[in-house]
Amino acid sequence: MAGGVVLDVAAPADTRVLAPVLRTEDLILRFGGLTALNSVNFEVQRGEIRAIIGPNGAGKSSFFNCLTGVLRPSSGRILFNGDDITGLSTDRISRKGIARSYQITNILPNSSTLENVRIAAQSRRHGWNMLNHHRAYRDILDKAEAVLESVGLGGKEDELAANLSHGEQRNLEIGIALATEPQLLCLDEPTAGMSASETRDIVGLVRRIAENLTILIVEHDMQVVMELADRITVLNYGEILAEGTPAEIQQNARVLEVYLRT
Amino acid sequence: MRDRHALIYWSGFTVILVLLIVAPLVLPEFWRRFLTEILIWGLLAMSSDLLIGYTGMVSFGHSAFFGIGMYGAAAALLSVSPPSLGLAMLYGLGSSAAVAAFVAYFSTRLRDIYFAITTLIFSQIFYVIIFTWTEMTGGENGLTFARPKLGLPGMEGLPFTSATLHWFVLALVTASYLILRRVTQSPFGMVLQSIRENETRTRAIGYPIERYKIVAVMLSGLFAGLAGVLYAVQNRFAAPDFVFFVVSGEVVIYNVVGGLGTLLGPIVGAGFFLLLREASSRFLTEYYLIPVGLIFIAMVIFLPQGLLGFMRRWINR
Repeated sequence: MAGGVVLDVAAPADTRVLAPVLRTEDLILRFGGLTALNSVNFEVQRGEIRAIIGPNGAGKSSFFNCLTGVLRPSSGRILFNGDDITGLSTDRISRKGIARSYQITNILPNSSTLENVRIAAQSRRHGWNMLNHHRAYRDILDKAEAVLESVGLGGKEDELAANLSHGEQRNLEIGIALATEPQLLCLDEPTAGMSASETRDIVGLVRRIAENLTILIVEHDMQVVMELADRITVLNYGEILAEGTPAEIQQNARVLEVYLRT
Repeated sequence: MRDRHALIYWSGFTVILVLLIVAPLVLPEFWRRFLTEILIWGLLAMSSDLLIGYTGMVSFGHSAFFGIGMYGAAAALLSVSPPSLGLAMLYGLGSSAAVAAFVAYFSTRLRDIYFAITTLIFSQIFYVIIFTWTEMTGGENGLTFARPKLGLPGMEGLPFTSATLHWFVLALVTASYLILRRVTQSPFGMVLQSIRENETRTRAIGYPIERYKIVAVMLSGLFAGLAGVLYAVQNRFAAPDFVFFVVSGEVVIYNVVGGLGTLLGPIVGAGFFLLLREASSRFLTEYYLIPVGLIFIAMVIFLPQGLLGFMRRWINR
Protein backbone atom coordinates (compact mmCIF):
# COMPACT_ATOMS: atom_id res chain seq x y z
CA MET A 1 0.00 0.00 0.00
CA ALA A 2 0.90 3.65 0.33
CA GLY A 3 2.83 4.23 -2.83
CA GLY A 4 5.74 6.60 -2.54
CA VAL A 5 5.60 7.40 1.17
CA VAL A 6 8.86 9.09 2.00
CA LEU A 7 9.14 10.87 5.29
CA ASP A 8 10.10 14.43 4.62
CA VAL A 9 12.62 14.63 7.44
CA ALA A 10 14.42 17.65 6.11
CA ALA A 11 11.39 19.86 5.51
CA PRO A 12 10.96 22.43 8.30
CA ALA A 13 14.16 23.67 9.92
CA ASP A 14 12.34 23.87 13.23
CA THR A 15 13.88 21.73 15.95
CA ARG A 16 10.48 21.06 17.57
CA VAL A 17 9.85 18.59 14.81
CA LEU A 18 10.85 15.34 16.36
CA ALA A 19 7.73 13.24 16.56
CA PRO A 20 4.71 13.65 14.29
CA VAL A 21 1.80 15.43 15.91
CA LEU A 22 -0.61 12.90 14.44
CA ARG A 23 0.00 9.36 13.31
CA THR A 24 -2.30 6.57 12.26
CA GLU A 25 -1.18 2.95 12.26
CA ASP A 26 -2.93 0.46 9.98
CA LEU A 27 -6.20 2.32 10.32
CA ILE A 28 -9.07 0.25 8.97
CA LEU A 29 -12.73 1.28 8.86
CA ARG A 30 -15.38 -1.07 7.54
CA PHE A 31 -19.07 -0.51 7.04
CA GLY A 32 -20.39 -4.05 6.70
CA GLY A 33 -18.80 -5.35 3.52
CA LEU A 34 -17.46 -1.98 2.42
CA THR A 35 -13.94 -1.01 3.42
CA ALA A 36 -13.92 2.78 3.73
CA LEU A 37 -10.34 2.98 5.00
CA ASN A 38 -7.83 0.24 4.32
CA SER A 39 -4.62 0.13 6.36
CA VAL A 40 -4.00 3.84 6.34
CA ASN A 41 -0.56 4.72 7.72
CA PHE A 42 -0.43 8.45 7.93
CA GLU A 43 1.81 10.97 9.63
CA VAL A 44 1.71 14.71 9.82
CA GLN A 45 4.41 16.90 11.32
CA ARG A 46 3.79 19.78 13.67
CA GLY A 47 3.23 23.06 11.89
CA GLU A 48 2.49 21.43 8.55
CA ILE A 49 -0.44 22.17 6.26
CA ARG A 50 -1.45 18.84 4.81
CA ALA A 51 -4.07 18.49 2.14
CA ILE A 52 -6.01 15.27 1.68
CA ILE A 53 -7.46 14.85 -1.77
CA GLY A 54 -9.10 12.09 -3.70
CA PRO A 55 -12.20 11.27 -5.72
CA ASN A 56 -15.64 11.19 -4.09
CA GLY A 57 -15.93 8.16 -1.83
CA ALA A 58 -12.17 7.88 -1.41
CA GLY A 59 -12.54 7.94 2.38
CA LYS A 60 -11.56 11.54 3.14
CA SER A 61 -14.55 12.32 5.32
CA SER A 62 -14.39 8.88 6.93
CA PHE A 63 -10.78 9.60 7.79
CA PHE A 64 -11.74 12.91 9.43
CA ASN A 65 -14.58 11.20 11.24
CA CYS A 66 -12.17 8.63 12.67
CA LEU A 67 -9.72 11.31 13.77
CA THR A 68 -12.40 13.32 15.53
CA GLY A 69 -14.14 10.38 17.19
CA VAL A 70 -17.35 10.48 15.18
CA LEU A 71 -16.61 6.98 13.85
CA ARG A 72 -14.72 4.27 15.68
CA PRO A 73 -12.15 2.55 13.47
CA SER A 74 -12.57 -1.20 12.97
CA SER A 75 -8.91 -1.68 13.77
CA GLY A 76 -5.65 0.21 13.91
CA ARG A 77 -4.49 3.04 16.11
CA ILE A 78 -4.56 6.83 16.07
CA LEU A 79 -1.80 8.57 17.99
CA PHE A 80 -2.00 12.25 18.79
CA ASN A 81 1.10 13.72 20.44
CA GLY A 82 2.04 10.13 21.16
CA ASP A 83 -1.24 9.42 23.05
CA ASP A 84 -3.52 6.72 21.78
CA ILE A 85 -6.83 8.44 21.04
CA THR A 86 -8.42 5.60 19.07
CA GLY A 87 -12.13 5.32 19.80
CA LEU A 88 -12.27 8.22 22.28
CA SER A 89 -15.48 10.24 22.22
CA THR A 90 -15.72 13.39 20.14
CA ASP A 91 -15.70 15.68 23.16
CA ARG A 92 -12.61 14.05 24.66
CA ILE A 93 -10.74 14.28 21.39
CA SER A 94 -11.69 17.93 21.19
CA ARG A 95 -10.28 18.49 24.67
CA LYS A 96 -7.07 16.74 23.60
CA GLY A 97 -6.61 19.46 21.00
CA ILE A 98 -8.13 18.36 17.69
CA ALA A 99 -10.77 20.67 16.25
CA ARG A 100 -12.70 20.45 13.02
CA SER A 101 -14.85 22.46 10.73
CA TYR A 102 -17.64 20.81 8.80
CA GLN A 103 -18.28 20.37 5.12
CA ILE A 104 -21.87 21.47 5.67
CA THR A 105 -21.99 24.59 7.81
CA ASN A 106 -22.56 23.53 11.41
CA ILE A 107 -23.08 26.51 13.69
CA LEU A 108 -25.57 27.68 16.32
CA PRO A 109 -27.93 29.52 13.95
CA ASN A 110 -30.08 31.22 16.59
CA SER A 111 -27.21 32.51 18.67
CA SER A 112 -25.17 35.62 18.08
CA THR A 113 -21.91 35.38 16.20
CA LEU A 114 -20.09 36.16 19.44
CA GLU A 115 -21.92 33.43 21.36
CA ASN A 116 -20.96 30.87 18.71
CA VAL A 117 -17.27 31.34 19.45
CA ARG A 118 -17.73 32.26 23.14
CA ILE A 119 -19.31 28.88 23.90
CA ALA A 120 -16.39 27.19 22.15
CA ALA A 121 -13.85 29.24 24.10
CA GLN A 122 -15.70 28.36 27.30
CA SER A 123 -15.39 24.63 26.66
CA ARG A 124 -11.94 24.54 28.25
CA ARG A 125 -12.85 26.27 31.50
CA HIS A 126 -15.83 27.43 33.58
CA GLY A 127 -18.24 25.15 31.67
CA TRP A 128 -19.81 23.75 34.85
CA ASN A 129 -20.23 27.02 36.66
CA MET A 130 -23.90 27.64 37.43
CA LEU A 131 -23.71 30.62 39.73
CA ASN A 132 -22.15 33.43 37.72
CA HIS A 133 -23.43 35.20 34.66
CA HIS A 134 -21.59 33.98 31.58
CA ARG A 135 -20.61 37.55 30.71
CA ALA A 136 -18.75 37.79 34.02
CA TYR A 137 -15.88 35.82 32.49
CA ARG A 138 -13.88 38.51 30.78
CA ASP A 139 -11.12 36.09 29.74
CA ILE A 140 -13.58 34.02 27.68
CA LEU A 141 -15.15 37.09 26.09
CA ASP A 142 -11.77 38.53 25.18
CA LYS A 143 -10.73 35.26 23.62
CA ALA A 144 -13.99 35.06 21.64
CA GLU A 145 -13.66 38.63 20.40
CA ALA A 146 -10.05 38.05 19.36
CA VAL A 147 -11.07 34.93 17.42
CA LEU A 148 -13.89 36.77 15.64
CA GLU A 149 -11.44 39.50 14.70
CA SER A 150 -8.98 36.93 13.34
CA VAL A 151 -11.56 35.28 11.08
CA GLY A 152 -12.71 38.64 9.74
CA LEU A 153 -15.96 38.86 11.67
CA GLY A 154 -14.96 41.69 13.98
CA GLY A 155 -17.87 44.13 14.28
CA LYS A 156 -20.46 41.41 13.64
CA GLU A 157 -20.56 40.21 17.27
CA ASP A 158 -24.25 40.81 17.82
CA GLU A 159 -25.40 39.58 14.44
CA LEU A 160 -27.50 36.41 14.55
CA ALA A 161 -25.38 33.62 13.03
CA ALA A 162 -28.28 32.60 10.76
CA ASN A 163 -28.25 36.10 9.20
CA LEU A 164 -24.60 35.97 8.13
CA SER A 165 -23.77 35.37 4.48
CA HIS A 166 -22.67 31.89 3.45
CA GLY A 167 -19.05 32.98 3.28
CA GLU A 168 -19.22 34.59 6.70
CA GLN A 169 -20.77 31.45 8.13
CA ARG A 170 -17.89 29.41 6.73
CA ASN A 171 -15.48 31.77 8.48
CA LEU A 172 -17.49 31.49 11.69
CA GLU A 173 -17.25 27.72 11.33
CA ILE A 174 -13.45 28.03 11.40
CA GLY A 175 -13.67 30.57 14.24
CA ILE A 176 -15.61 28.09 16.40
CA ALA A 177 -12.90 25.49 15.84
CA LEU A 178 -10.13 28.00 16.58
CA ALA A 179 -11.77 29.17 19.80
CA THR A 180 -11.17 25.74 21.32
CA GLU A 181 -7.44 26.46 21.01
CA PRO A 182 -6.57 23.32 19.05
CA GLN A 183 -3.15 22.02 18.10
CA LEU A 184 -4.54 20.26 15.06
CA LEU A 185 -7.30 21.72 12.93
CA CYS A 186 -9.19 19.57 10.43
CA LEU A 187 -10.89 21.63 7.75
CA ASP A 188 -13.48 19.79 5.70
CA GLU A 189 -13.88 21.60 2.37
CA PRO A 190 -13.64 25.11 3.81
CA THR A 191 -14.27 26.77 0.44
CA ALA A 192 -17.37 24.74 -0.46
CA GLY A 193 -19.93 26.95 -2.14
CA MET A 194 -17.79 30.07 -1.93
CA SER A 195 -17.24 32.78 -4.49
CA ALA A 196 -13.77 33.34 -5.95
CA SER A 197 -13.09 36.30 -3.70
CA GLU A 198 -14.36 34.52 -0.60
CA THR A 199 -12.08 31.62 -1.52
CA ARG A 200 -9.13 34.04 -1.65
CA ASP A 201 -10.03 35.23 1.83
CA ILE A 202 -10.15 31.68 3.18
CA VAL A 203 -6.74 30.90 1.70
CA GLY A 204 -5.33 33.98 3.40
CA LEU A 205 -7.05 33.03 6.66
CA VAL A 206 -5.72 29.47 6.62
CA ARG A 207 -2.21 30.81 5.95
CA ARG A 208 -2.43 33.16 8.92
CA ILE A 209 -3.73 30.62 11.39
CA ALA A 210 -1.28 27.97 10.18
CA GLU A 211 1.53 29.84 11.87
CA ASN A 212 0.55 28.39 15.24
CA LEU A 213 -1.00 25.05 14.46
CA THR A 214 -1.06 22.00 12.27
CA ILE A 215 -3.76 21.86 9.61
CA LEU A 216 -5.35 18.99 7.75
CA ILE A 217 -7.50 20.16 4.90
CA VAL A 218 -9.84 18.23 2.64
CA GLU A 219 -10.46 20.30 -0.45
CA HIS A 220 -11.67 19.85 -3.99
CA ASP A 221 -10.40 23.15 -5.35
CA MET A 222 -6.98 22.10 -6.68
CA GLN A 223 -5.77 25.65 -6.93
CA VAL A 224 -6.37 26.13 -3.21
CA VAL A 225 -4.71 22.80 -2.44
CA MET A 226 -1.60 23.48 -4.49
CA GLU A 227 -1.29 26.94 -3.04
CA LEU A 228 -1.72 26.04 0.61
CA ALA A 229 -0.41 22.55 1.18
CA ASP A 230 3.10 21.75 2.31
CA ARG A 231 2.38 18.15 1.44
CA ILE A 232 -0.53 16.30 -0.12
CA THR A 233 -1.93 12.87 0.63
CA VAL A 234 -4.03 11.27 -2.09
CA LEU A 235 -6.67 8.78 -1.00
CA ASN A 236 -8.36 6.36 -3.37
CA TYR A 237 -10.73 3.56 -2.35
CA GLY A 238 -9.67 4.03 1.25
CA GLU A 239 -5.98 3.61 0.58
CA ILE A 240 -3.15 6.08 0.35
CA LEU A 241 -2.34 6.27 -3.34
CA ALA A 242 0.45 8.80 -3.09
CA GLU A 243 1.98 11.34 -0.80
CA GLY A 244 4.38 14.19 -1.47
CA THR A 245 4.82 17.86 -2.15
CA PRO A 246 2.38 19.59 -4.50
CA ALA A 247 4.96 19.45 -7.28
CA GLU A 248 5.49 15.73 -6.81
CA ILE A 249 1.78 15.00 -6.70
CA GLN A 250 1.12 16.98 -9.87
CA GLN A 251 3.57 14.75 -11.68
CA ASN A 252 2.60 11.46 -10.16
CA ALA A 253 1.31 9.24 -12.95
CA ARG A 254 -1.07 7.24 -10.77
CA VAL A 255 -2.61 10.34 -9.26
CA LEU A 256 -3.10 11.82 -12.70
CA GLU A 257 -4.80 8.67 -13.80
CA VAL A 258 -7.34 8.35 -10.99
CA TYR A 259 -7.96 11.90 -10.01
CA LEU A 260 -6.23 14.95 -11.35
CA ARG A 261 -6.77 14.27 -15.03
CA THR A 262 -10.52 14.49 -14.79
CA MET B 1 -28.22 50.22 27.34
CA ARG B 2 -27.57 47.21 29.53
CA ASP B 3 -28.21 49.29 32.66
CA ARG B 4 -31.49 50.54 31.26
CA HIS B 5 -32.57 46.99 30.51
CA ALA B 6 -31.70 45.93 34.05
CA LEU B 7 -33.64 48.88 35.50
CA ILE B 8 -36.79 48.09 33.54
CA TYR B 9 -36.49 44.40 34.25
CA TRP B 10 -36.05 44.72 38.00
CA SER B 11 -38.75 47.41 38.30
CA GLY B 12 -41.21 45.12 36.57
CA PHE B 13 -40.07 42.24 38.74
CA THR B 14 -40.58 44.28 41.92
CA VAL B 15 -44.03 45.51 40.89
CA ILE B 16 -45.26 41.99 40.16
CA LEU B 17 -43.71 40.64 43.34
CA VAL B 18 -45.36 43.37 45.45
CA LEU B 19 -48.72 42.65 43.80
CA LEU B 20 -48.33 38.97 44.63
CA ILE B 21 -47.38 39.79 48.21
CA VAL B 22 -50.39 42.07 48.69
CA ALA B 23 -52.81 39.76 46.86
CA PRO B 24 -53.83 37.53 49.81
CA LEU B 25 -54.76 40.59 51.84
CA VAL B 26 -57.37 41.66 49.31
CA LEU B 27 -58.49 38.42 47.68
CA PRO B 28 -61.30 36.27 49.07
CA GLU B 29 -60.35 32.88 50.48
CA PHE B 30 -61.07 30.86 47.32
CA TRP B 31 -58.99 33.06 45.04
CA ARG B 32 -56.23 33.28 47.61
CA ARG B 33 -55.87 29.51 47.51
CA PHE B 34 -56.24 29.56 43.75
CA LEU B 35 -53.38 32.02 43.35
CA THR B 36 -51.12 29.93 45.58
CA GLU B 37 -51.97 26.91 43.47
CA ILE B 38 -51.08 28.78 40.28
CA LEU B 39 -47.68 29.55 41.79
CA ILE B 40 -47.11 25.90 42.62
CA TRP B 41 -48.09 24.64 39.16
CA GLY B 42 -46.06 27.52 37.74
CA LEU B 43 -43.01 26.31 39.64
CA LEU B 44 -43.51 22.82 38.23
CA ALA B 45 -43.84 24.23 34.71
CA MET B 46 -40.80 26.46 35.24
CA SER B 47 -38.70 23.47 36.32
CA SER B 48 -39.74 21.70 33.14
CA ASP B 49 -38.83 24.76 31.05
CA LEU B 50 -35.19 24.23 31.99
CA LEU B 51 -35.38 21.04 29.92
CA ILE B 52 -37.92 21.91 27.21
CA GLY B 53 -37.09 25.55 26.62
CA TYR B 54 -33.39 25.71 27.41
CA THR B 55 -31.99 22.25 26.68
CA GLY B 56 -34.46 21.19 24.00
CA MET B 57 -35.53 18.01 25.78
CA VAL B 58 -39.28 17.50 26.10
CA SER B 59 -39.95 15.70 29.37
CA PHE B 60 -43.15 13.80 29.98
CA GLY B 61 -41.84 12.64 33.32
CA HIS B 62 -42.37 15.70 35.44
CA SER B 63 -45.48 14.24 37.03
CA ALA B 64 -43.16 11.60 38.54
CA PHE B 65 -40.78 14.14 40.08
CA PHE B 66 -43.74 16.17 41.30
CA GLY B 67 -45.49 13.10 42.72
CA ILE B 68 -42.37 11.74 44.37
CA GLY B 69 -41.88 15.12 46.04
CA MET B 70 -45.45 14.88 47.26
CA TYR B 71 -45.10 11.36 48.63
CA GLY B 72 -41.69 12.16 50.12
CA ALA B 73 -43.26 15.03 52.04
CA ALA B 74 -46.16 12.76 53.01
CA ALA B 75 -43.77 10.14 54.38
CA ALA B 76 -42.06 12.75 56.55
CA LEU B 77 -45.31 14.28 57.76
CA LEU B 78 -46.85 10.92 58.66
CA SER B 79 -43.82 9.37 60.32
CA VAL B 80 -42.80 12.15 62.69
CA SER B 81 -44.97 13.75 65.32
CA PRO B 82 -45.46 16.69 65.46
CA PRO B 83 -45.14 17.03 61.67
CA SER B 84 -42.10 19.01 60.65
CA LEU B 85 -42.00 21.24 57.61
CA GLY B 86 -38.21 21.07 57.37
CA LEU B 87 -38.25 17.29 57.34
CA ALA B 88 -41.03 17.25 54.74
CA MET B 89 -38.90 19.45 52.48
CA LEU B 90 -35.83 17.31 53.09
CA TYR B 91 -37.63 14.03 52.35
CA GLY B 92 -39.48 15.45 49.35
CA LEU B 93 -36.47 17.07 47.74
CA GLY B 94 -34.18 14.17 48.58
CA SER B 95 -36.46 11.54 47.08
CA SER B 96 -37.28 13.57 43.96
CA ALA B 97 -33.58 14.29 43.41
CA ALA B 98 -32.77 10.59 43.77
CA VAL B 99 -35.53 9.60 41.34
CA ALA B 100 -34.47 12.35 38.94
CA ALA B 101 -30.88 11.08 39.02
CA PHE B 102 -32.09 7.57 38.26
CA VAL B 103 -34.37 8.67 35.41
CA ALA B 104 -31.73 11.06 34.07
CA TYR B 105 -29.07 8.40 33.90
CA PHE B 106 -31.14 6.21 31.59
CA SER B 107 -33.22 8.72 29.65
CA THR B 108 -30.44 11.12 28.61
CA ARG B 109 -28.87 8.46 26.43
CA LEU B 110 -31.75 9.07 24.07
CA ARG B 111 -32.78 12.13 22.13
CA ASP B 112 -35.91 13.88 20.95
CA ILE B 113 -39.04 11.76 20.96
CA TYR B 114 -37.16 8.80 22.44
CA PHE B 115 -36.20 10.87 25.44
CA ALA B 116 -39.80 12.04 25.84
CA ILE B 117 -41.12 8.47 25.64
CA THR B 118 -38.53 7.19 28.13
CA THR B 119 -39.45 9.84 30.69
CA LEU B 120 -43.12 9.05 30.10
CA ILE B 121 -42.49 5.35 30.69
CA PHE B 122 -40.57 6.05 33.89
CA SER B 123 -43.36 8.24 35.22
CA GLN B 124 -45.90 5.50 34.46
CA ILE B 125 -43.72 2.95 36.24
CA PHE B 126 -43.72 5.14 39.33
CA TYR B 127 -47.47 5.62 38.93
CA VAL B 128 -48.04 1.87 38.89
CA ILE B 129 -45.75 1.32 41.87
CA ILE B 130 -47.51 4.00 43.89
CA PHE B 131 -50.96 2.85 42.79
CA THR B 132 -50.41 -0.79 43.71
CA TRP B 133 -48.21 -0.55 46.80
CA THR B 134 -51.24 0.10 48.98
CA GLU B 135 -49.79 -0.51 52.46
CA MET B 136 -47.07 2.05 51.83
CA THR B 137 -48.74 4.66 49.66
CA GLY B 138 -52.42 4.22 50.37
CA GLY B 139 -52.89 3.03 46.79
CA GLU B 140 -55.75 4.61 44.93
CA ASN B 141 -56.88 6.64 47.94
CA GLY B 142 -53.52 8.22 48.52
CA LEU B 143 -52.42 9.60 51.85
CA THR B 144 -53.86 12.36 53.98
CA PHE B 145 -51.98 14.10 56.73
CA ALA B 146 -51.97 17.19 58.90
CA ARG B 147 -50.29 20.37 57.74
CA PRO B 148 -47.09 21.11 59.64
CA LYS B 149 -46.43 24.38 61.40
CA LEU B 150 -44.54 27.07 59.54
CA GLY B 151 -41.33 26.07 61.25
CA LEU B 152 -39.01 28.75 59.97
CA PRO B 153 -36.20 29.88 62.22
CA GLY B 154 -37.45 32.82 64.29
CA MET B 155 -41.09 32.04 63.48
CA GLU B 156 -41.49 28.72 65.29
CA GLY B 157 -45.03 27.80 66.03
CA LEU B 158 -46.51 30.23 63.54
CA PRO B 159 -49.51 28.47 61.98
CA PHE B 160 -50.08 28.14 58.26
CA THR B 161 -53.05 30.24 57.27
CA SER B 162 -53.96 30.60 53.62
CA ALA B 163 -52.11 33.94 53.69
CA THR B 164 -48.90 32.78 55.37
CA LEU B 165 -48.92 29.69 53.17
CA HIS B 166 -49.19 31.95 50.14
CA TRP B 167 -46.22 34.01 51.26
CA PHE B 168 -44.22 30.90 52.03
CA VAL B 169 -44.94 29.48 48.57
CA LEU B 170 -44.29 32.86 46.95
CA ALA B 171 -40.92 33.14 48.68
CA LEU B 172 -39.83 29.69 47.49
CA VAL B 173 -41.13 30.16 43.94
CA THR B 174 -39.41 33.55 43.71
CA ALA B 175 -36.17 32.09 45.03
CA SER B 176 -36.47 29.18 42.57
CA TYR B 177 -37.02 31.61 39.72
CA LEU B 178 -33.97 33.67 40.66
CA ILE B 179 -31.84 30.55 40.98
CA LEU B 180 -33.05 29.06 37.69
CA ARG B 181 -32.62 32.41 35.96
CA ARG B 182 -29.04 32.59 37.12
CA VAL B 183 -28.44 28.97 36.13
CA THR B 184 -29.75 29.60 32.63
CA GLN B 185 -27.47 32.63 32.23
CA SER B 186 -24.42 30.88 33.65
CA PRO B 187 -21.75 29.18 31.56
CA PHE B 188 -23.54 25.91 32.35
CA GLY B 189 -26.86 27.31 31.14
CA MET B 190 -25.25 28.55 27.94
CA VAL B 191 -24.01 25.02 27.29
CA LEU B 192 -27.57 23.72 27.69
CA GLN B 193 -28.79 26.27 25.16
CA SER B 194 -25.99 25.33 22.83
CA ILE B 195 -27.10 21.69 23.11
CA ARG B 196 -30.62 22.81 22.19
CA GLU B 197 -29.30 24.72 19.18
CA ASN B 198 -26.89 22.13 17.85
CA GLU B 199 -26.04 19.01 19.77
CA THR B 200 -23.40 17.73 17.34
CA ARG B 201 -21.56 21.02 17.35
CA THR B 202 -21.66 21.29 21.12
CA ARG B 203 -20.11 17.86 21.45
CA ALA B 204 -17.51 18.63 18.81
CA ILE B 205 -16.21 21.66 20.69
CA GLY B 206 -15.53 19.49 23.71
CA TYR B 207 -18.60 19.30 25.93
CA PRO B 208 -19.54 15.88 27.33
CA ILE B 209 -23.19 16.58 26.61
CA GLU B 210 -24.62 13.49 28.33
CA ARG B 211 -23.26 14.73 31.63
CA TYR B 212 -24.70 18.17 31.07
CA LYS B 213 -28.06 16.64 30.26
CA ILE B 214 -28.00 14.44 33.35
CA VAL B 215 -27.32 17.42 35.58
CA ALA B 216 -30.04 19.40 33.80
CA VAL B 217 -32.62 16.65 34.37
CA MET B 218 -31.58 16.35 38.03
CA LEU B 219 -31.86 20.09 38.61
CA SER B 220 -35.19 20.19 36.86
CA GLY B 221 -36.43 17.20 38.86
CA LEU B 222 -35.35 18.83 42.10
CA PHE B 223 -37.45 21.94 41.46
CA ALA B 224 -40.36 19.79 40.29
CA GLY B 225 -40.03 17.91 43.58
CA LEU B 226 -40.17 21.20 45.46
CA ALA B 227 -43.44 21.98 43.70
CA GLY B 228 -44.71 18.57 44.82
CA VAL B 229 -43.78 19.25 48.44
CA LEU B 230 -45.56 22.61 48.34
CA TYR B 231 -48.65 21.06 46.80
CA ALA B 232 -48.71 18.39 49.51
CA VAL B 233 -48.39 21.00 52.24
CA GLN B 234 -51.13 23.12 50.71
CA ASN B 235 -53.63 20.33 50.13
CA ARG B 236 -52.72 17.92 52.94
CA PHE B 237 -52.86 14.89 50.72
CA ALA B 238 -50.80 12.90 48.24
CA ALA B 239 -52.63 11.02 45.50
CA PRO B 240 -51.50 8.79 42.63
CA ASP B 241 -53.43 10.94 40.10
CA PHE B 242 -50.65 13.51 40.31
CA VAL B 243 -48.05 10.97 39.21
CA PHE B 244 -50.07 10.05 36.12
CA PHE B 245 -48.52 11.25 32.84
CA VAL B 246 -51.51 13.46 32.01
CA VAL B 247 -50.12 15.89 34.59
CA SER B 248 -46.82 15.96 32.65
CA GLY B 249 -48.80 16.73 29.52
CA GLU B 250 -50.48 19.66 31.20
CA VAL B 251 -47.09 20.93 32.29
CA VAL B 252 -45.90 20.84 28.68
CA ILE B 253 -49.05 22.78 27.71
CA TYR B 254 -48.31 25.47 30.35
CA ASN B 255 -44.87 25.83 28.81
CA VAL B 256 -46.14 26.11 25.26
CA VAL B 257 -48.95 28.51 26.17
CA GLY B 258 -46.69 30.68 28.30
CA GLY B 259 -43.60 30.75 26.12
CA LEU B 260 -40.72 28.28 26.09
CA GLY B 261 -37.35 29.35 27.36
CA THR B 262 -38.54 32.28 29.45
CA LEU B 263 -39.00 30.68 32.91
CA LEU B 264 -41.69 33.29 33.63
CA GLY B 265 -43.81 32.21 30.69
CA PRO B 266 -44.63 28.81 32.16
CA ILE B 267 -45.97 30.49 35.33
CA VAL B 268 -48.13 32.79 33.20
CA GLY B 269 -49.14 29.75 31.12
CA ALA B 270 -50.15 27.84 34.24
CA GLY B 271 -52.18 30.83 35.46
CA PHE B 272 -53.85 31.29 32.09
CA PHE B 273 -54.69 27.63 31.73
CA LEU B 274 -55.99 27.15 35.29
CA LEU B 275 -58.11 30.31 35.11
CA LEU B 276 -59.50 29.28 31.76
CA ARG B 277 -60.39 25.86 33.09
CA GLU B 278 -61.95 27.35 36.22
CA ALA B 279 -64.01 29.84 34.24
CA SER B 280 -65.25 27.39 31.65
CA SER B 281 -66.05 24.70 34.21
CA ARG B 282 -68.35 27.16 35.99
CA PHE B 283 -70.40 27.84 32.89
CA LEU B 284 -70.16 24.63 30.93
CA THR B 285 -69.91 22.03 33.70
CA GLU B 286 -68.87 18.69 32.18
CA TYR B 287 -68.12 20.12 28.73
CA TYR B 288 -65.58 22.56 30.12
CA LEU B 289 -62.61 20.98 28.31
CA ILE B 290 -64.05 21.74 24.86
CA PRO B 291 -63.49 25.52 24.95
CA VAL B 292 -60.16 24.98 26.75
CA GLY B 293 -59.05 22.71 23.92
CA LEU B 294 -60.26 25.08 21.22
CA ILE B 295 -58.51 28.05 22.78
CA PHE B 296 -55.35 26.03 23.15
CA ILE B 297 -55.43 25.06 19.46
CA ALA B 298 -56.03 28.67 18.47
CA MET B 299 -53.09 29.81 20.59
CA VAL B 300 -50.72 27.29 19.08
CA ILE B 301 -51.74 28.45 15.60
CA PHE B 302 -51.84 32.21 16.18
CA LEU B 303 -49.38 32.63 19.04
CA PRO B 304 -46.86 29.82 18.55
CA GLN B 305 -44.28 31.57 20.70
CA GLY B 306 -46.62 31.62 23.68
CA LEU B 307 -47.81 34.53 25.80
CA LEU B 308 -44.32 35.72 26.76
CA GLY B 309 -42.44 34.27 23.79
CA PHE B 310 -42.05 37.67 22.16
CA MET B 311 -40.06 38.78 25.23
CA ARG B 312 -37.79 35.78 25.18
CA ARG B 313 -34.57 37.49 24.14
CA TRP B 314 -35.31 40.40 26.42
CA ILE B 315 -35.95 38.23 29.47
CA ASN B 316 -32.86 36.13 28.94
CA ARG B 317 -30.37 38.95 28.69
